[in-house]
Amino acid sequence: MEIEIHLTQSPIPAKMTTPALGPSGAWLEFSGMVRDEENGQPISALEYEVYEEMAGREIRRLLESLAIKYSCLAARVIHRFGVVPAGETAIYVCVAARHRQEAIALLAEFMDRLKQDVPIWKRRALPIEAPGSAKKKSYAFRTTTQGHGARPSVSLDEARDRIHSVCQALPNIRVPLFAALGQTLRETVCASGDLPAHDLSTRDGYAILVSDSTKTFRVVDTIHAADWKPRSLQTGEAVRVATGATLPCPKLRVVMQEDVERDGDFITVLKEDRARNIRRCGEEIKKGKTILEAGLRLDAGKLALLAAAGCTRPLVSPRLNVTHFTTGDEIIPPDQTPGPGQIRDSNSILVRGLLQPFANGLEQTHLPENFEAAWARLDWSRIEALADDPCLRETLWPARVQRTTESTQLQPLPWVSSGGITSLASANALLRVPPDTTALDAGAEVEYLPAMGMLET
Amino acid sequence: MQVLFFAQLQDVTGCPSAELAVIEPLTLEQLWSVLIEIFPALQAYRPNVRLACNWEYAGPETFFNDEDEVALIPPVSGG
Repeated sequence: MEIEIHLTQSPIPAKMTTPALGPSGAWLEFSGMVRDEENGQPISALEYEVYEEMAGREIRRLLESLAIKYSCLAARVIHRFGVVPAGETAIYVCVAARHRQEAIALLAEFMDRLKQDVPIWKRRALPIEAPGSAKKKSYAFRTTTQGHGARPSVSLDEARDRIHSVCQALPNIRVPLFAALGQTLRETVCASGDLPAHDLSTRDGYAILVSDSTKTFRVVDTIHAADWKPRSLQTGEAVRVATGATLPCPKLRVVMQEDVERDGDFITVLKEDRARNIRRCGEEIKKGKTILEAGLRLDAGKLALLAAAGCTRPLVSPRLNVTHFTTGDEIIPPDQTPGPGQIRDSNSILVRGLLQPFANGLEQTHLPENFEAAWARLDWSRIEALADDPCLRETLWPARVQRTTESTQLQPLPWVSSGGITSLASANALLRVPPDTTALDAGAEVEYLPAMGMLET
Repeated sequence: MQVLFFAQLQDVTGCPSAELAVIEPLTLEQLWSVLIEIFPALQAYRPNVRLACNWEYAGPETFFNDEDEVALIPPVSGG
């Protein structure tokens, strides 16, 4: 039986590819989802913990033993760990077999035995923020209807789809780390070696053999943090080590300098301590282990991790060349004083700031109200998609998002209409106000988009 | 020897793992005695916790050596 196993923190895709398996007449899929209540209490998510190295092996062993009992052709298991929101899939299993009886029986027994032997735990349930307090606060959303009249309206998803239909993703490229800040990682990076590469001391003290139970040792060498002095140790020998020093061989422990008495080249251990005082080779990252998964935005901490692991040219989405046209005869450059009927151009710098992580070059041009001069420069085959000038059916309202371990909360900011600028200076999110909504109570569940450069994890 | 604590055992011991110096191979019984000596609160959980050695469940015949990775596995709840 072909077996495929994945343990991942990423959401499990809704659509899976069905492998082409000639003789299979039955294809069975199961998704175990996080319910929205646990022990009668509503929850927002479950947090799963996994012993990765062992869970993979146990799932494989389980599938192999079930393959003998029920002859199936293939099985794929994906288990998600970390925080899994209610309604999302925590485990996905699919089984291919010649006939449905074997597939159903294998799946049923697999799920039973998974819950006995495989080291994965539902660690904790995350509550929903309790709705309603003594004074119920309500927010009013008044948006000026600007006589849209004949303008067609689209949903946010429709708008995205139309833009995607005329834009192809550019091929990914490799860039040096300093150029990768804010970019989206497009490959899963695995460690090329162990980190630390060798056992290290975590204390200033004396390294001796773990198996050595003598009390007095002869100090045969000294190792500072930057030294590489491999050697073997005999019973009764010790090596002076500094914090961070690479130990000269495996199977050593470090006795703290406070616990010994030194006399020339000899030390006597005064205090017995079970602590080993080392960082093991591979303790932080093991060779071959996934360091970062594809799809993550690279912030400074992630770049540091890539540097520590020696991945200095990660594969990322390329930066774009962007052209931005502004229009409107009332718009003047911001360094000028507006006359009657004029306002300063704040959009250009807003767009420039928002595009900064994504744009290689940004060309900004103010077009006169009659477009004739600019028509020749525009690629109309791409603009066709939006030539009917649609507007969004919903309203995106500036807000401030705050995340705690218990909940994510959104504070709408004062805002009159799309002309309002002041709240942009405090906003880090856009609240999605559904069409025809004029008020929302405090505690209502809402959707939002991150904004103003707020990085999603 | 690196000893990993999973799920609620991390709350019991106050840490996700511990590093022990093991001079000679220990039996399962001997290892439990050492762990309970260091973390007395583990005593109450012992009947329901399985030990794993190098990613395999351990049994009464398993010997635990200094270079092994040991894990304390409380009752699992995957899926």
